[in-house]
Amino acid sequence: MNTLLSLGDNLQTFWGFTGFANAEPGHIIMILVGLLFIFLAIKFEFEPLLLIPIGFGMLIGNIPFDEAANLKVGIYEEGSVLNILYQGVVQGWYPPLIFLGIGAMTDFSALIANPKLILIGAACQFGIFGAYIIALQLGFEPNQAGAIGIIGGADGPTAIFLSSKLAPNLMGAIAVSAYSYMALVPIIQPPFMRLLTTKKERVIHMTPPRVISQTEKILFPIVGLLLTAFLVPSGLPLLGMLFFGNLLKESGVTRRLAETARGPLIDIVTILLGLTVGVSTQATTFLTAQSVKVFIIGALSFIIATIAGILFVKIFNLFLKKENKINPLIGNAGVSAVPDSARISQIIGLEYDPSNYLLMHAMGPNVAGVIGSAVAAGIMLGFLG
Amino acid sequence: MTKLNQIGFLLLAITLTFGSCSTKKKNPSWVINEVMVNNKTNMIDEFGQRNGWIEIYNNTAKTQDLGGMYLTTDKNNPKMYPIPLGDVRTRIKPYQQAIFWADAKPFHGNFHTNFELDSTRENYIALYDVDGKTLIDEIIVPKGIPADKTFGYPKDGFKYDEEGNLMATILERVTPNSNNAIIAENPKIAEMKRNDPLGIIITITSMLVVFTGLFLLYLMFHCIGNFSKNMTQKRVAGRRKLSAARSESQLSGEVLAAIAAAITELKEDQHDIESTILTIQQVKKNYSPWSSKIYTLRQLPNK
Repeated sequence: MNTLLSLGDNLQTFWGFTGFANAEPGHIIMILVGLLFIFLAIKFEFEPLLLIPIGFGMLIGNIPFDEAANLKVGIYEEGSVLNILYQGVVQGWYPPLIFLGIGAMTDFSALIANPKLILIGAACQFGIFGAYIIALQLGFEPNQAGAIGIIGGADGPTAIFLSSKLAPNLMGAIAVSAYSYMALVPIIQPPFMRLLTTKKERVIHMTPPRVISQTEKILFPIVGLLLTAFLVPSGLPLLGMLFFGNLLKESGVTRRLAETARGPLIDIVTILLGLTVGVSTQATTFLTAQSVKVFIIGALSFIIATIAGILFVKIFNLFLKKENKINPLIGNAGVSAVPDSARISQIIGLEYDPSNYLLMHAMGPNVAGVIGSAVAAGIMLGFLG
Repeated sequence: MTKLNQIGFLLLAITLTFGSCSTKKKNPSWVINEVMVNNKTNMIDEFGQRNGWIEIYNNTAKTQDLGGMYLTTDKNNPKMYPIPLGDVRTRIKPYQQAIFWADAKPFHGNFHTNFELDSTRENYIALYDVDGKTLIDEIIVPKGIPADKTFGYPKDGFKYDEEGNLMATILERVTPNSNNAIIAENPKIAEMKRNDPLGIIITITSMLVVFTGLFLLYLMFHCIGNFSKNMTQKRVAGRRKLSAARSESQLSGEVLAAIAAAITELKEDQHDIESTILTIQQVKKNYSPWSSKIYTLRQLPNK
């Protein structure tokens, strides 16, 4: 009899440790969101390299367990494996490593050949500050608003970097929001691109970019770093790594290093970053009213950035000679979701004129957007850090 | 942009770079942050005694070790009190502090110096580096500091104000082993909330900075591009090759092909029999010749 009783007790204790006994509605919601991410990534190929790790991370992070039992399995429990992997996000050293890889894989030729396109990348940063103003109105503190605003920079690593410094408690929501909207750029941007441009503007053929020399390509990361980092030293971790990666690529003598940076290194960091950001959405700490607000502001920031880029090109065109006019359909590409927003310019451009290839031109503002958002993050950190 | 303008721009950039170099006085990496000379009713040490004390502040963002450095009250004897090596407590975390008792009882422990402070006269206190020669920080505590009051810097680690004047003064509160300035909230955020509740000012300022940064980049590459074009044109002129002209001119492939055809036709008019055949072949790619650039970016895997 006693044996049966103690077996019953054991089973009851065991039941208390299972996910079923500890599940809350929030866990189920987050698991469903994770499954949706995985579905979107596989079915529609929306940023699969990010949505698969984040989506699966959401499943891992939302398996309920008894937090009071101190099992050291959760991402927020000091010393757990996931917590150790999460340090790269918390301390902000994954994002600069990702930027190193981005630098080593990005070709800045379009920008160097037609440097005025850089300014479109600057205009799109209105998305960041527009979102900052909205977040303040919704009751966020200035540092939180700054971290939320950076979603409008459409740059996942930058968003994680800045939120880890300014508002660590919102980092999960900000990262998931930034990556989700980056994946949804093909849905968010086209309606505004069509709405804000005329038929005549959509078929503008831009002058083909000139061929640029190797020397110019080598000078770009060096001059770029010196100019931007002197102006905004707080953006140094991101800008320094971005331009360093690019020099590895363009110098022509560090092929092995460049290949590692844009290959195995960025892949490893992307896996760890994506997975841990996904796991960090543990429902008990993630699912709050604030997170919902972050998602709403995030969507608005992408819209503002897109509109700002297109309108800027239209205004800029007023001052340009006829042969130098810019097709406003590349205005959206200043949103630095590389290379998706540039692809959208290409696709929409071809819809209206099958001989109008905008991709090469759109890559200019696209990579300028990366620099612009890193500079904007540096400014935010300087003002609010 | 003419060559003269380019040189002017370069000179302006150099002038701005060097002209903007800071000449402000720098705060040292260690600061003698707070000093109590006459301790009547204040903090007691682990032996239950009251003595003067010196607070040293790690004024950097890294953990530093005080072990092996020297504290002194005599300019002519910089090695008066060597701070003992090998004590983990002398490793001070960023922006944290350590207290040294000026009780002339070095055998009471590693944080007890071999000198005392004298409330009847001015006290000179200095911290020297491990070589015993390099002065890191010094402070002169004036005569007549009231009992149980401390002399130091109201803002931890900040010795100088904007004009470079020393900020040392008698402090309002005695704060051994803690910050002299009590910070309840991030001052930047508090100021932002007070002065810019709508976020308009920061938006305008930040966008100006973003535009300035990227505009400078534009200007620089506009100049570099022009310079590069001029150089290439000179080289091309020497070579007289069509491929070189293609690489330099801004004409499309089709236009250059038409020019080439016209030249050939002209030559054919001059010769009855032509020994060469001109073939114009269009390069076909899915998007454009430039679209291959996309493959240098991260590729999406196929299902």
